[in-house]
Amino acid sequence: MENNELAYEKIKEDISNLKRKKSSQMSLVWSRFKKNRLAFVGFIIVSIVIFIAIFAPLLTPYNPLDTDPFNRLKAPSAEHWLGTDELGRDVLTRLFYGSRIALLIGVLIILFEGAIGILLGILSGFFGGAIDVVTMRIVDILRSFPVIILAMAIAGIMGQGLLNVVIALGIVGWTTYARMVRSKILSIKETDYVEAAYSIGESTFSVIMKYVMPNAIPTAIIMICIMMPTALIASATLSFLGVGVQPPSPDWGSMIAAGRAYLLRAPWISTSAGLAIMFTVLGFNFIGDGLRDALDPTTKRN
Amino acid sequence: MSKKQKYWINKIIRTVITAFGVTLIAFLILHLSKGDPVKIMLGPYATEENVAATRAKYNLDKPLYVQYFTWVSNVFQGDLGTSIRYNRSVNDLIKERVRPTLILTGGGLLIAVTVGVLLGVAAALRRNSWLDYFSTFQAMFWLSIPTFWLGILFLYIFGLKLGWVPIAGMTGFASIILPVLTIGLQQEAWFARPMRAEMLEVLNQDYVKAAKAKGLKYRVVVWKHALRNALIPIITMLALRLPWIIGGSVVVEVVFSWGGMGSLLVNSVLARDFPVVQAILLIIAAAVVLANLAADIIYSVVDPRIRTGG
Repeated sequence: MENNELAYEKIKEDISNLKRKKSSQMSLVWSRFKKNRLAFVGFIIVSIVIFIAIFAPLLTPYNPLDTDPFNRLKAPSAEHWLGTDELGRDVLTRLFYGSRIALLIGVLIILFEGAIGILLGILSGFFGGAIDVVTMRIVDILRSFPVIILAMAIAGIMGQGLLNVVIALGIVGWTTYARMVRSKILSIKETDYVEAAYSIGESTFSVIMKYVMPNAIPTAIIMICIMMPTALIASATLSFLGVGVQPPSPDWGSMIAAGRAYLLRAPWISTSAGLAIMFTVLGFNFIGDGLRDALDPTTKRN
Repeated sequence: MSKKQKYWINKIIRTVITAFGVTLIAFLILHLSKGDPVKIMLGPYATEENVAATRAKYNLDKPLYVQYFTWVSNVFQGDLGTSIRYNRSVNDLIKERVRPTLILTGGGLLIAVTVGVLLGVAAALRRNSWLDYFSTFQAMFWLSIPTFWLGILFLYIFGLKLGWVPIAGMTGFASIILPVLTIGLQQEAWFARPMRAEMLEVLNQDYVKAAKAKGLKYRVVVWKHALRNALIPIITMLALRLPWIIGGSVVVEVVFSWGGMGSLLVNSVLARDFPVVQAILLIIAAAVVLANLAADIIYSVVDPRIRTGG
């Protein structure tokens, strides 16, 4: 009984939220998102990482590239909270600066693959026909290769470097967006409101812009949050395999790789970089999960 | 033509197109390199004659389409080319390394499916229990950890600190455990969650209720009737995850100094040994394409309700 009343109150509140603001949909989503505790934790984690990335120079007295031959592989201490690496560089400082590289690569990959994937997904979903057939066959072909293997081959052959990592992972990654967005568009196309829009004489272009796009955006946002962890892990893996961001850049993946040779003497190098990746990825995963529930309440696992 | 026939003809045409595209990509990848691949392969000190001879040997002096068709027709005759670095037949190189890779991927797959299915079923049977939450939490944990770091952690804890297993190389059964666990545990997360959802749905079906109503033991209902049907979508999941398992095993091979195709691929990419790179890319993609087709066929055999649309 009480439960029913609560649910009723909640629906009433949601509806009044809906009426109150112009961006009603967003505020509804936000209110659901806030109630999800894990998503909120994820939000805080990611905020911390972004804060560190922005203010890295203020948070540490050291330079991430300054070597110190007299203080190699020093254990964590008051001066070096997470110890020093094989060249005497401060590990915590490199972690802080590493967040810049990780976030930059992640955002670039998502912009690159998202732009291609969402555009092709909308086009092939909405127009079908030849463009759909060709796009989907290319998707099939690219997805026959394991992401990390094709990306490693591409990055390795094009040559190391941040931009090539972005290109290599983006060339493979857009297929996921294209498929998801396409199937979303296909279901939107069948809806009554699109049919209604056509019947009152809207042009194809305005149907796409006014009715199809806004309804496909939640799918795209979820995709971006789901793909961020994949992008972070994949770019770290490329660094580890030696085809990614090159030393001496304080990249988390390269730090793990370099620390591997000193696992017994200085386990803090690999361990702290690994924890940094995990912490960040976990944050994005929590947000992605929360957003999925908030944007699409029908899929709520219960 | 029946709907079913149409579906399969369509499917086979698509598979053939995909296979063709896969050979094209494996072939073209070499041409992504800036500059002359032959000069990159031979290094800065190669003489002009040497470069010309190598170019002729690998057909690189011919037009692109001739190169492609020569390569493809050789592949179809079972000749994958000659490695530049080892100056040996790529077939031989790969033959030596197939078994270790199959052990890794097969073992990883086995652990992923077994653990994933068991956890998923357990979570579905005891919904909202600590076991259910544990299953969700551990899935999130495995999804947030890079494979190579998980491998290094395992190596550090069980190899270096506890000394339970050898830390590198292929030395008997003990050396298999960590690499296989690294792949399997991580991929298990992808089976546990869908398995739970599927099991919950099946347990709600009328035939399960009927089986219960006619007095069958709960255990028989769950393990014989419900599980068998809940497993069907896992076949599709298997085919979907196969590329990731292969990708994961490449990384794991590097972490554990495992002498399989994965480490050969990584070393060949770094050494720009293009014939080997092309051959391994092609073999892996072909395996994935065939696995997808096989999954479709198995699916339609075990589940006659298969949708014949798109």
